[in-house]
Amino acid sequence: MAPDMEKLYAERLKRYVTAMRNGKPDRIPIRPFVAEFTAKYAGYTAQEVTQDYRKAFAAARKCAADFDWDAVVGNMVYVWTGVTQAIGTKYYATPGIELSPNTGFQFIEPPEEKAFMRPDEYDELIEDPTGFLFNVWLPRISADVCPKGEPVSFRNNLSFLKGGMAMLSYFSAFGTQAALLRKESGTVSAIAGILKAPLDILADKLRGYIGLTMDLFERPEKVLAACEALMPHLTYVALSGADPEKNLPVSIWMHRGGVPFVTREQFERFYWPTLKPIIQEIWAKGHQVLFYAEGNWSAHLESFAELPEASIIYHVDRDDIFRVHQVLGEKFCLSGGIPNTLLAFGTPDDVRAHCKRVIHGVARDGGYILDACAIVQNEAKVENMRAMTEFTREYGVY
Amino acid sequence: MAEDGTAKKGPARRPGVCIPWEEKRKEFPSFTGDEEIVKRIWEENDTLGYIYIWHCLLSF
Repeated sequence: MAPDMEKLYAERLKRYVTAMRNGKPDRIPIRPFVAEFTAKYAGYTAQEVTQDYRKAFAAARKCAADFDWDAVVGNMVYVWTGVTQAIGTKYYATPGIELSPNTGFQFIEPPEEKAFMRPDEYDELIEDPTGFLFNVWLPRISADVCPKGEPVSFRNNLSFLKGGMAMLSYFSAFGTQAALLRKESGTVSAIAGILKAPLDILADKLRGYIGLTMDLFERPEKVLAACEALMPHLTYVALSGADPEKNLPVSIWMHRGGVPFVTREQFERFYWPTLKPIIQEIWAKGHQVLFYAEGNWSAHLESFAELPEASIIYHVDRDDIFRVHQVLGEKFCLSGGIPNTLLAFGTPDDVRAHCKRVIHGVARDGGYILDACAIVQNEAKVENMRAMTEFTREYGVY
Repeated sequence: MAEDGTAKKGPARRPGVCIPWEEKRKEFPSFTGDEEIVKRIWEENDTLGYIYIWHCLLSF
């Protein structure tokens, strides 16, 4: 008799949500953020899952079903290059084109002098962020979109038409993917909605990291005003994609706004005062935020502890998960803490031993979700992912 | 619109908005029917343009 997928889905959703609210479910939920690993497991190249989202979705569903995971992202190879190629985006290196077919896509940050926003353009961004993106930023990041004041071209027009249609096609497919995950394997979609911190996005896609760090010293008031101008837009976009049922968290991908990329003082003046109110606003609307804290944020755990209880799930990458548990464990669920290097180069016994240590150290009272430290690419061994999963299934029962 | 085809400078665009209804409405001499339908559909589609550019920045 076929398993009752609706019943399984309901059990998993309850398990996942209970843990995210820092409660104790029946057992530890398993929610690996698997990207190019899905291609390796399902028999695709990285190129195939990056350029053909249908294959990426199929690979994600195969992994979810075969590994019996509680929750996954519908497609963690998130940048479908069909969209970026339609737009003419310049800043990606793509597997099968600039990269080997089995290397994950790469973001290429331009040199400081070719940053997508110049240092004298802060006022224009601050005055009208949306207008700035359309009129200044997009023509610089796209090979096809014409700069302001120049005659439009055939390729300019196609960029908007194809880019919009491709994005709509891709985003719409996530709804179908969530339904198929639920129907085929009773798997929960792990996240809904996207957020970036104002300072992070200013560094990533506008001024570049080097340019921004210079600006923090040379024009700090402008940087702060730009972050403040971005806040309502980032909040709006995050809420526009949030789960209407208010079960799944909005995810924030945090990477360069903390020590040592900026100083502690810069974090406290720029990063945190322009991110914290966004989290509070999203929480006030009933949504949790998954803090996907890439790298090491140990210098700032006390700041994160200021947030309302259960408003975030804190994902541990390079932090000491035991210290994170001491500082944040009373208020927030944790996830992650299983090193990707271990999954790539260790043995199944090593993986089981590490999982045991983490579970024993941080998960005894619930409030923990099993995951790797960082997004799992194709260097992870299948037998190690299986060991992580099976061990946690057995040992992580409350 | 400015001569180069871009939006004129004015008050900052609100989140979710590219061309506000108040600006678009001036292009219609009058309405023989329900203005509210025209406004709602305009705003729904206008938001798609907004979502497009912000996802270009945030997601892609």
